[in-house]
Amino acid sequence: MGFFICSTQLCSTQLRFDARTTQSDNPGHLAPIDKTADVTDRTERSIFSRILGRLWGDKEVRILILGLDGAGKTTILYRLQVGEVVTTIPTIGFNVETVQYKNIKFQVWDLGGQTSIRPYWRCYYANTDAVIYVVDSVDRDRVSTAKEELMAMLEEDELKDASLLVFANKQDMAGAMTAAEVSDALGLSTLMNRQWSIYKTSAVKGEGLTEGLDWLINIMQK
Amino acid sequence: MADFIKQNAHRFFANNKKGENAELLADLNSEYRDRRKDAVKRVIANMTVGKDVSSLFPQVVKNMQTEDLEMKKLVYLYLMNYAKSNPDLVILAVNTFVKDTDHVNPLIRALAIRTMGCIRVDKILDHLCEPLRKCLQDDNPYVRKTAAICVAKLWDLDQERALENGFVTTLQDLVSDSNPMVVSNAVTALAEMQESSATKDVFVVNVAFMNKMLAALNECTEWGQIAILTSLAEYKPLDSKEAENICERVIPRLQHANGSVVLSAIRVIMMFMRHIKSDDFVKGLVKKMSPPLVSLLASAPEVQYVSLRNINLILQKRPDILQNDVRVFFCKYNDPPYVKREKLEIMIKLCNEKNIEQILSELKEYASEVDVDFVRKAVHAIGRCAIMIDEASERCVNVLLDLINTKVNYVVQEAIIVIKDIFRKYPKRYEAIIPTLCQNLDSLDEPEAKGSLIWIIGEYAERIENADELIENFLETFLEENSQVQLQLLTATVKLFLKKPSQSQEIVHRVLQTATQEIDNPDTRDRAYVYWRLLSTDPQAAKAVVLSEKPPISVETSTISPGLMDELINNISTLASVYHKPPKAFMGNRAFSADAVKKAAAADARDEEQNMGDAALESPTATGGAAAAKNPIADLLDLDFGSSEPALTSPPVSSSSQKPSGPNYSADLFDFSSDVPSSSGNGAMGVMGSMSGFGITMAPTTSSTAAPAPAGNNDPFGDLGGFGQPAQQQQQQQKPATSQSSATNDLLGLF
Repeated sequence: MGFFICSTQLCSTQLRFDARTTQSDNPGHLAPIDKTADVTDRTERSIFSRILGRLWGDKEVRILILGLDGAGKTTILYRLQVGEVVTTIPTIGFNVETVQYKNIKFQVWDLGGQTSIRPYWRCYYANTDAVIYVVDSVDRDRVSTAKEELMAMLEEDELKDASLLVFANKQDMAGAMTAAEVSDALGLSTLMNRQWSIYKTSAVKGEGLTEGLDWLINIMQK
Repeated sequence: MADFIKQNAHRFFANNKKGENAELLADLNSEYRDRRKDAVKRVIANMTVGKDVSSLFPQVVKNMQTEDLEMKKLVYLYLMNYAKSNPDLVILAVNTFVKDTDHVNPLIRALAIRTMGCIRVDKILDHLCEPLRKCLQDDNPYVRKTAAICVAKLWDLDQERALENGFVTTLQDLVSDSNPMVVSNAVTALAEMQESSATKDVFVVNVAFMNKMLAALNECTEWGQIAILTSLAEYKPLDSKEAENICERVIPRLQHANGSVVLSAIRVIMMFMRHIKSDDFVKGLVKKMSPPLVSLLASAPEVQYVSLRNINLILQKRPDILQNDVRVFFCKYNDPPYVKREKLEIMIKLCNEKNIEQILSELKEYASEVDVDFVRKAVHAIGRCAIMIDEASERCVNVLLDLINTKVNYVVQEAIIVIKDIFRKYPKRYEAIIPTLCQNLDSLDEPEAKGSLIWIIGEYAERIENADELIENFLETFLEENSQVQLQLLTATVKLFLKKPSQSQEIVHRVLQTATQEIDNPDTRDRAYVYWRLLSTDPQAAKAVVLSEKPPISVETSTISPGLMDELINNISTLASVYHKPPKAFMGNRAFSADAVKKAAAADARDEEQNMGDAALESPTATGGAAAAKNPIADLLDLDFGSSEPALTSPPVSSSSQKPSGPNYSADLFDFSSDVPSSSGNGAMGVMGSMSGFGITMAPTTSSTAAPAPAGNNDPFGDLGGFGQPAQQQQQQQKPATSQSSATNDLLGLF
């Protein structure tokens, strides 16, 4: 039951991790894949994946990205998957992509955050290992709504074992709340029986995302 | 303890939730890809056998975003089926649809837009328009052609939205697409939309559309060709030259292997022929239409049937078609009965002096087959040939005689029925065969055959030496006979009496007496009264009525009115041309249902009733009496051999002393004998009305015991007695009398 608030210098860390599509035949998002890097990577990966394969088998680690509409969930998903910013439209429904990070395959679900879709989040809770909750740090008006949705979600039985990673997103914008402020607003410190953590992120700049994922991997491997 | 139960409640309850759907639910949420795929397959399998798997909707939709095409198709299939039962959850699929319409693979783009169109849920319409717009402009023709159909689907759900988004205009532009498939699908969609459009301006086929469609016609699929040809038929050519051009370009379609394409092409040609002025060109077209029609007869029986029904129609419009091809319409022994029947019809239509020999020998062959119904039709067909072709009548009669000599009961009976028609057509030409017919007297058991033979005996009583004996023979069972036979016997006896009064006075007296006293059927009884009065009043007048010249008969080759014919030609290759009925007669709410006809008739009857109030006709007579009166009056015309008798077209009334209301009377008679139910009520009362106008007192001697039924519903004439002079009537014990002899002239219609 460890929790910690990341230090502010972390948010200036450059995004360095090698995130890419695992399905090289996915042409929907034209991420140019560096062939040479891929080859060197593959030998490395095969060793690791054999070890990890024993740990998880073909089992996918399932992660949900939730949050109010316009918080930046879809942008985060594609930033993680193809490593670049894609233009998004409001998600009516969901996106699901497989993200490979540090030789672990994550199946990442990004659900639409509009009021009309929120009731259906529950359909996606089953077998979820972790929830990434994205908050728009600039939108102070709706942070209370974000809190309500978060609390309602955490009460669900199906999510009682899931870890919670909160991204205080849009840190690149002026007037953004700090991680501590967001944590307070969401009432994270009152959570019981839950592994959680909060990171300052900027999906547009790609900052803070890897750190969050590192924390997740760390938690899950324990 | 309570806490323990509370914490573990899910164990006790959730695990009890057994059943396949629970199992599938778990598998659909599995962390393993292959297990999920397997689960989706099982869901689809359950769906196809009719198990309700709609509760798994969100879980199935979760598996929609996948690179696995097989899986994607399965989920799409599920969506189409169950979207309606989960309209709220459908929005979960929207994002995936939108992404798929952006996919690099055109097959997936098309699949997505097609499925999206098939989900008939309002909520999805908001999200359909953008992807649809994209797909309509897609580089790939496959996507465009799929999107074109999707517009029609959107139109069906929300016309406003389709118009607002400019999809209709886009679709109209697609008619000019470079790809023929896209053109044909755009035409299909537009034609469908036009039908349900309120303003009917979605797809008005103009010169530009027409040219584009003709350009695409030769290169698209058979479905597309049918759609284009159907829309082409809507075009109104400006002049003869243009119609010729269009026909020229449609002609190659006649070579197509698909029967529907061929018939659609024929429809276009038949319709545009009306506008073509050059007779030579029309002749050429007719010539070119024959071979494709013939080759349609090489297909499956069902297709043959449809083709034959259409050919039947085309033949009525263009009798010169297929003149040399009668042989292809000869029935094969293994043709199904419905095909045989149609072929027979067409054979008769194609019958002429040149091929009659061939046709006759063929028909004779058919008459020896085992299918009774078909044999009868074949025999009947021989009779029709005889009536149609004067020169061949003798050969036909000979064939019929041969058939009678086979002594096969039903063949003999049918032959006698058609010979009666031949006698009507060629009076006095074939009297020589009467003895042969009479030999079969005893084998007749069907009313129609019996009636026919009796009619022949009555008609030729003066040539048949023992006519009185023959009739006597029949009279033995007079009371047991069918009313049709009774009426014929009555008429034949009167004819016999008029021709040979010396021999048959006793017979006729007995018959009339029996008919008036012992028979309950008002038709027979009333006709007997009429004859009786005629004979007792003025035998000469009776002769003029009963033995009057009969109007000639001809075989109807066309039973379809020209107006209906044109409409049916416009609908060749549709159900209308198979039923030979206009589409509105059997299509949904616009149909003229039997109920509607009845209602209209009832309304007419009510009006009439009011008009007739003075004539002391109470409503019971109007209903019961009218129904009863329908038959007798039609039958009195002596043409009671079924509806095939066309003789009603010329009035038999030859009286010179007609009252002013006379024409009205005969007009009503015709009204009567036609089989239109709505006119019967009317007509019956019309007749009675006119009669009362004449002032005829038709009252039978109600004082006597002769009238078995009280004057009432089943005795319409009885009611009229109310205004006669009953005092005059009783001359003999049972003999009715007429108060005005002029009545006989007006009754000429009864011959």
